[in-house]
Amino acid sequence: MASVTFDHVTKKFGDVVALNDLNIKVEDREFLVLVGPSGCGKTTALRCLAGLEEVTSGRILIGDQVVNDIPPKDRDIAMVFQSYALYPHMTVFDNMAFGLKLRKFPKDEIKRRVEEAAQILGIETLLKRKPRELSGGQRQRVAVGRAIVREPKVFLFDEPLSNLDAKLRVQTRAEISKLHQRLQTTFIYVTHDQVEAMTMATRIAVMNKGILQQLDTPQNLYDKPANLFVAGFIGSPAMNFFSARLRKEQGELIIDTGDFAVKIPAEKRDLYAPYVDRQVIFGIRPEDIHNPTFAPPGIHAAPVESKVDVIELMGNEIFLYMVSGKNNYVARVDPRTRFKIGDTVQLVFNMDNFHLFNPAADSENPPAIR
Amino acid sequence: MGFANPAVNARRILGSIPTYLILTIGLLLAVIPFLLIFITALKSPAELGNAFALPQQFHWENFQRAWTQARFGTYFKSSLIVTLSVVGISCLLSLLTGYAFGQLRFPLKNSIFLLFLIGLMVPTEAYIIPLYYSLRAVHLTDTYWALILPQIGMSVCFGSFWMRGFFSGIPRDLVDASRVDGCNDWQTFWHVMIPMVLPGLWTMAVLFFIWTWNDFLLALVMITREGLRTLPLGLAMFQGRYTTDYTLTAAGATIVALPTLLFYVLFQRQFIRGVTAGAIKG
Repeated sequence: MASVTFDHVTKKFGDVVALNDLNIKVEDREFLVLVGPSGCGKTTALRCLAGLEEVTSGRILIGDQVVNDIPPKDRDIAMVFQSYALYPHMTVFDNMAFGLKLRKFPKDEIKRRVEEAAQILGIETLLKRKPRELSGGQRQRVAVGRAIVREPKVFLFDEPLSNLDAKLRVQTRAEISKLHQRLQTTFIYVTHDQVEAMTMATRIAVMNKGILQQLDTPQNLYDKPANLFVAGFIGSPAMNFFSARLRKEQGELIIDTGDFAVKIPAEKRDLYAPYVDRQVIFGIRPEDIHNPTFAPPGIHAAPVESKVDVIELMGNEIFLYMVSGKNNYVARVDPRTRFKIGDTVQLVFNMDNFHLFNPAADSENPPAIR
Repeated sequence: MGFANPAVNARRILGSIPTYLILTIGLLLAVIPFLLIFITALKSPAELGNAFALPQQFHWENFQRAWTQARFGTYFKSSLIVTLSVVGISCLLSLLTGYAFGQLRFPLKNSIFLLFLIGLMVPTEAYIIPLYYSLRAVHLTDTYWALILPQIGMSVCFGSFWMRGFFSGIPRDLVDASRVDGCNDWQTFWHVMIPMVLPGLWTMAVLFFIWTWNDFLLALVMITREGLRTLPLGLAMFQGRYTTDYTLTAAGATIVALPTLLFYVLFQRQFIRGVTAGAIKG
């Protein structure tokens, strides 16, 4: 068990900056998920921590020890790879025992640990098989088992679920969460899937282009995204964004997209007042757009008229793809909604949960106005 | 299958006839010369008239005469010494060069690899004479070294090329996994990579064995002492001296061919696995 610290870590491959001044402190026993689109540097960060890549500058610490110059085998970490990376010529038992054998553990201790791990993972009956005789899900378990038997200070997972089918992925997700509770060890988990990140993590580090965008709890990332990238990345379907102008009219603050205008509730006026007559990006999540008939009571509802373009029935909810002038957006509405494609209907935006971003501060990735 | 339509079955059998026909012709073309030589080796000189006729009595003593009287026993020993040295050393070196070219990153890697390829492309005939003078200058002609060293050189050119393919096919994750598991470079090589390239190694060993065992030109140029002659050279020289004794020549030829045949049959499975490695997903 140990904390992990990335201290001003930069990693360059030639001219490409894969990690740009990364600072993360992972607490002991924390389940930290690194999430971001492909090429964002999350896997590079994990590989640097594992010792499979050398950092260009900065320090990585496991506990209080700087590990920059320590080889992978001496870092007391275990890693589960996306491809599972099982040794094809070894049995399941030998795959799991390999790390212990190299460390010259006594035979009965190896046997005890492998059998215990196999039992936790439900693979006791597979110990004599070779990896090629296993299904994808079973291989994945063996890969996890190989990490467990080592009883390392830190577990690293590199997209371990992406090769599983959808159903197995959901199941294994829950199992890894359970494993974390059981082992009470630091987990660092890399994924591009924000659902995995949201469901498993104690905290999430959202990355893009080698830069840490935000490090926070799943709920805070969802409620208070720091910038446009995080706002768009966390949540599915993604947050809707509209280019807009703030205007002041008879004491009210209005967000005007050109196609529709919505009022900012009184208690938020002070926050946004300095941005009057300036360009902003207005963001609202699909789940905060309602069919007025089923809108929750007591919200600050702002009516918006738009045309229904596509309807997706999900059973427990309906996704409406709406067009309002030059703007498109998605609404996630009550399943009892009965709209038809082509109808012009009125929806309401819940103005208690909206976000404004300031493109003047950073045109590529505008920060949220707080 | 049991419920298949008889007409469909008949058509399938008919359709496979040409395949079997061609295979049978190929088989006969390959096997008949060997059989004829083997039969000839068992005949008495008087029975040589009809090559296809079986001998009235099997003259096994022809082999014994070839072994002792025609000194095929000595040649066999030379061949064995040369071949086993070449196969052993070449396999070891090719494993190392294949690992280097397939797994490591180092300056001038591609240029150096190109040099190995050139070694693979230039025929022996092109450099055999200068090689002779070079070896004579260091007093190595008429020794086993004159056969072993050049043959290793040629084999390693091919071996590097061959093993590089197998080593570069090892997934990067596996190497990383072994490092995290606790391997140093040597342990990764030994515990993870060697078992994975084993099919390729076996195939290469079989090829090296066949090439070295059958090599004639190098032995012809480098060796003059009869005691050092290898089997193919011995056979050729023997033919020159005893042109009339075809039964003895045939017995000698059988002795030359038998070990490669046995070696191949023994390692056939590994050989085919190596040749087809990568063709189907493991």
